[in-house]
Amino acid sequence: MSGATCRGDRPTGMAYSVLAEIGRLLEALAGSGASGAIDLRSLPLTEADRTQLHELLGPGEVSAELEAGGRSTVRETAYPGVWWVTHRGAGDKVASEEIAVCPVPSILAAHPADIAVAARRIRQTLDESIPGQAEAS
Amino acid sequence: MADNKTCDRKPAPTLGEALAERGISRRSFLKFASYTASIMALPPAAATAMAEGLAAARRQSVIWLSFQECTGCTESFTRAKAPSIEDLIFDFISLDYHHTLQNASGHAAELAREQAMEENKGEYLVIVDGSVPLKDDGVYSTIAGMTNLQMLRDTVRDAKAVISVGSCAAFGGIPGANPNPTGAVAIDQIITDKPVINLPGCPPIPEVMTGTVAYLLSFAGIPELDALGRPRAFFGEAIHDRCYRRPFYEKGLFAKGFDDEGARQGWCLYEVGCKGPVTYNACATLKWNGGVSFPIQSGHGCLGCSEPGFWDLGGFYKPLSTGKDGVLKYAAGAAVAGAAIGAASAYSVRAKRKKIMGNATQAVATPSGKEDD
Repeated sequence: MSGATCRGDRPTGMAYSVLAEIGRLLEALAGSGASGAIDLRSLPLTEADRTQLHELLGPGEVSAELEAGGRSTVRETAYPGVWWVTHRGAGDKVASEEIAVCPVPSILAAHPADIAVAARRIRQTLDESIPGQAEAS
Repeated sequence: MADNKTCDRKPAPTLGEALAERGISRRSFLKFASYTASIMALPPAAATAMAEGLAAARRQSVIWLSFQECTGCTESFTRAKAPSIEDLIFDFISLDYHHTLQNASGHAAELAREQAMEENKGEYLVIVDGSVPLKDDGVYSTIAGMTNLQMLRDTVRDAKAVISVGSCAAFGGIPGANPNPTGAVAIDQIITDKPVINLPGCPPIPEVMTGTVAYLLSFAGIPELDALGRPRAFFGEAIHDRCYRRPFYEKGLFAKGFDDEGARQGWCLYEVGCKGPVTYNACATLKWNGGVSFPIQSGHGCLGCSEPGFWDLGGFYKPLSTGKDGVLKYAAGAAVAGAAIGAASAYSVRAKRKKIMGNATQAVATPSGKEDD
């Protein structure tokens, strides 16, 4: 464990490499509307690299928290269109972490199938709660 | 188990429909898919397609056969963490036969296997852990009066695909180690007319197993495999490639023992026997026990357990370069040593593996133990 700790203490320069990649994706988004993402979990980032990347990107205007099979956080960075998305699993451990470069991360949008189920549920609630509602409609 | 089978022939609900009934939203699918795409090194954009594919799929019938094995692979699979997104995989499959986990026993257990085969003809998935003994007509391992060979052939007959989990099923593993008294062989040496995916490891990483099954379900296809039948997504890079100790290797900084200054400084474990440079697996990135650590991070070299014949490749604590003269003697500079050691070790290990796998192939050719052993 000592090796991991020693190496984790200092930045390796990876944060700037990731930032450059984010810059390229953001230019593509601005130019053609093409979304992109960088999987942070697959990169050999040290804790210091991660902290540095956080500092480089800074906080933005939007922050959202979801509860879907564990906690997730979606935070816009100081660069509009660049989002830091963290999905957590069992024990609140990070299951996946990515930088999404897009107008809005898709995990925030309600899926049409869920919307349809929600509409049925409201109808059912009304039918059960208000006598005669079913016949009236 | 087997709850997707109905008598009135009404189609089973899709996973999206079934889980919606339980209040599990499509966001959970997307989250699971993001997680799976991440561990499989798929482009993040693939997560959306994967989520849609999973939601439209139906529960996958799985028949799990355990032959010459230690149940470590099952232990690993069932420890794919507590209820959470990682656990969704258990909602995606119907484990119709697993003689360690199922309630039924004896004839009822075998009936469950036969029913699953009949009702899901051409669609069920067979997962095998453990090797198959061929010597003396396979008498060294039997289940329900059938040799492992008979049960494997019978069960795989109408399967969609086969997944060999663990190094025993994938490569013969420890049962197949020298002198291989039972003539143990890998599954893909017997099954040659179906897709066979090898997920080696002793045991395999839980996420490697769940990720592969999720891929099969989502994309209705086989992930890209390497020459040894392993998904490249998990086995495309050597442990060494993603090891956080790699910079020390490049600088020629090696621990010489497990308690010396180099070990305390977290230097490369190559000289104390680490097989990371010739072992392809995802331990360095996925890690173990929910991402806590992996052997090298815990101070021990990689054993190379996901490679063919790992048990017979020499001592676990001998450097890969150990040979007649040893490559290390000739390495002039530390940085040069890194490259030179890597090339020589890879050649040496390939030669050893070729010999080991050659012996196993010979055992298949002469299953009654008449080979020169």
